Amino acid sequence: MTEDKIENLLQKTDQMAGGPASVSAKLSAVVRRRAHRRRIATFAAPFAVAAVIIIGLGVWSITTRTPKTTQDQEKLTSLEIQVKQLRARTDAALNLIQEVLEDERRQRRLDELEAQLASIPDPLEELQKQVDKTAFILVYQADRMYRELNQTNSAVEAYNRVIALFPQNRWAKVARQRLAEIENRKFNKTNSEGDSIWKPQNAQSSC
Amino acid sequence: MVVMAETITDELLVGQFNRGDESAFDRIVEQHSGDVAALANRLLGWPGDVEDVTQDIFLAAYLGLKRFRCECSLKTWLFTITINKCRSYRYKRILRLRLFAATKASLTRPHAKVKTPTGSETFDRVRRAVAALPAKYREPVVLRYLQELPTDEISQIIGISKNALQVRLTRARRRLRQELAELIKEKL
Repeated sequence: MTEDKIENLLQKTDQMAGGPASVSAKLSAVVRRRAHRRRIATFAAPFAVAAVIIIGLGVWSITTRTPKTTQDQEKLTSLEIQVKQLRARTDAALNLIQEVLEDERRQRRLDELEAQLASIPDPLEELQKQVDKTAFILVYQADRMYRELNQTNSAVEAYNRVIALFPQNRWAKVARQRLAEIENRKFNKTNSEGDSIWKPQNAQSSC
Repeated sequence: MVVMAETITDELLVGQFNRGDESAFDRIVEQHSGDVAALANRLLGWPGDVEDVTQDIFLAAYLGLKRFRCECSLKTWLFTITINKCRSYRYKRILRLRLFAATKASLTRPHAKVKTPTGSETFDRVRRAVAALPAKYREPVVLRYLQELPTDEISQIIGISKNALQVRLTRARRRLRQELAELIKEKL
């Protein structure tokens, strides 16, 4: 019952309100035009957005180019300076290393030379040895001539030669001793004919 | 029988439109614009001028007609679009009113500025009571009592079951009864 009343009330109100204003006869044409416009907008929107973005980027790049370039240049300059400083430091370090290496090489060479020098015998000593040896040989030969061959004159000549050639040598002393002994023997021989034969002992012990 | 013929006609028109025959759309507009405009007018609280909403509804139909699969009648489909468009239209209008710092009264009475055709108090009260109903109650009421559609079609249009529709109608009636108690008593 109440439902009917409500329905009646609603319908009466609807009747009183009247229908909507008459819909335009060109409604379908208007709708078609709007749809066409919307399609164009849908199609063109991405292009428009892209164009706006590109233009925006262009403007932005133009407006921000100068300061950025200046900043870049400053950065570049500071980097170049740093590179130069680093290069100078590296060069200095390399030079130092080369100097140290050169010193080490020189020191090594010096050591080698010193070792070589140390290995070389003293010529004076060598000469002294040779002189000593020659004097000994002469004395020895003179001893043999005198003792074994009984060539006293030749032996005296040989002793004299040793004394003449190597007056400071110890064999010159020995030669002098031999000569003195020979003189003594000669002297003793003349005095007493039965003296024993002299045997040189110093020459053997010194050899 | 009438529904079947209607469905066949709809299918033919949609087929023609899909084949590129634009005149099919003209015929669709011609056939249904009146009903669509009337429904929009009632859903929006009888503002009278519903040209813009009707244009939006048929624009949506024009753009979506190729996807229409004729599972329901074209009228049902158009009414569904109408309901959706009216909902968004009301929502936008409320937002706009809020944006312009409208008074609370104008929010609760969104059609206050609309001229009343008769100026009678009864009409105003009923209109206000219907407008004050939430959309989920107002739509079934309008479709059932003003458009006089069968419940099957209404449930199809709104997209709810018949039971849910009955529940909503009952609740809507209860609210209207409360709002319009004096008027109903006067009638008695």
